[in-house]
Amino acid sequence: MTSTDDLIHSLASTAGTRRSSASLHAALAVTGAASLACALLLVFSVIGIRQDFAEMAVRMPFAFKVVCTGALVFGASVVALYAATPGASATALYAISPAVIFLACGVIFDPTAFPIMGRTNTAVTFCVGHILFLSLPAMVLTFVFMRKGAPTQPLFAGAVIGILSASLGALAYTLACKNDGTAFVATLYMAACAIMAFIGAVVGHRVLRW
Amino acid sequence: MTVEEREQHWAEAMRAERRGEAVVYERMLKELATALRRSLAPRLVRVGFGAHETEDLVQEILIGLHGKRHTWDPARPFLPWLHTIARYKLIDFMRHRRRDTRRRVDLPHDDWLEMVDPPADEAMHSTWEMDRHLAVLPVSQRNVVRAIAVEGGSVRSVAQELATSEGVVRVTLHRAISRLLEAADTTPTIKPRSRKEHDEHR
Repeated sequence: MTSTDDLIHSLASTAGTRRSSASLHAALAVTGAASLACALLLVFSVIGIRQDFAEMAVRMPFAFKVVCTGALVFGASVVALYAATPGASATALYAISPAVIFLACGVIFDPTAFPIMGRTNTAVTFCVGHILFLSLPAMVLTFVFMRKGAPTQPLFAGAVIGILSASLGALAYTLACKNDGTAFVATLYMAACAIMAFIGAVVGHRVLRW
Repeated sequence: MTVEEREQHWAEAMRAERRGEAVVYERMLKELATALRRSLAPRLVRVGFGAHETEDLVQEILIGLHGKRHTWDPARPFLPWLHTIARYKLIDFMRHRRRDTRRRVDLPHDDWLEMVDPPADEAMHSTWEMDRHLAVLPVSQRNVVRAIAVEGGSVRSVAQELATSEGVVRVTLHRAISRLLEAADTTPTIKPRSRKEHDEHR
């Protein structure tokens, strides 16, 4: 008996001890919900929701923020599942397109005439910094999820995870965000996503190997 | 066997694995190992690797497939899933080997200093020597060797620590030892002459 046969025998002896593939979808759903809960908790406890929240919540800019970040969360989740599953169909990549279209529309047809870099000098760093801060728990949780999966492109999987956690952070941040310009929102939320994607790719390249 | 038949045959065996039918799964892994060996060996030979490396890679693929088998959706085809994993493991394997080769032929600063100033501390020297020998192993094998042979852990405790089965640890250790022996054969070392030899040459 060669060592490969030994190995095969010992692998086969643990047959039937893993759960079915539905668990990957379920794991992502749980991860997403937990990440969002963490981010919301941080918004309420550390940042605090916007003063005029009740009045603002029914207006267009807020709806735009929620729709944009929601679409991004959905798209990034679908792509994350694709990245975690070997041999999955690449059509999953199209799931990100609604978010891209919304964001592009936000930049091109900005009806609010709000300055693109915010009303104050610190608006940009403030906004992006908060989103990055809120996406940190999501980053950790989604990395745990991705390690459960089988990412065959660790760099790409890490970047997708970065985008997913940034969009979860941004979704929570909509409750606190004081800047209503759609161009501002689209640009800076994108910037936050890009930063997290970069961090995710660098970390993923090292951490997601199996 | 045509591609469609093979697909159905192996997909069925993967479903059987979920039902806990170890015998069917074992037979399928054996067929898979044969097929992988046949397709990978010529590729590896082309870049200067032998049967030993092919076997290593086949084992890596089998372990990877087994560890990630929950990511295969029974509603989706099996062969594309397998192909992605095999390809990932092949690329990973080549990169590791390149790095290993570089390390084996490298002239690090420490060795360079060694030439002019041998370390005085004997204990430190021996750890350093051991690390240098273990450096020929891939990280996973090195961890197992260090835990069992150097720190004196049991197969069971190491398996628990690394979250795999005892069988995998045993096979890993076995592979590591044969690789170390092989490395010892190929590494040119200056053997101290024995007393007798020394006298003969006088």
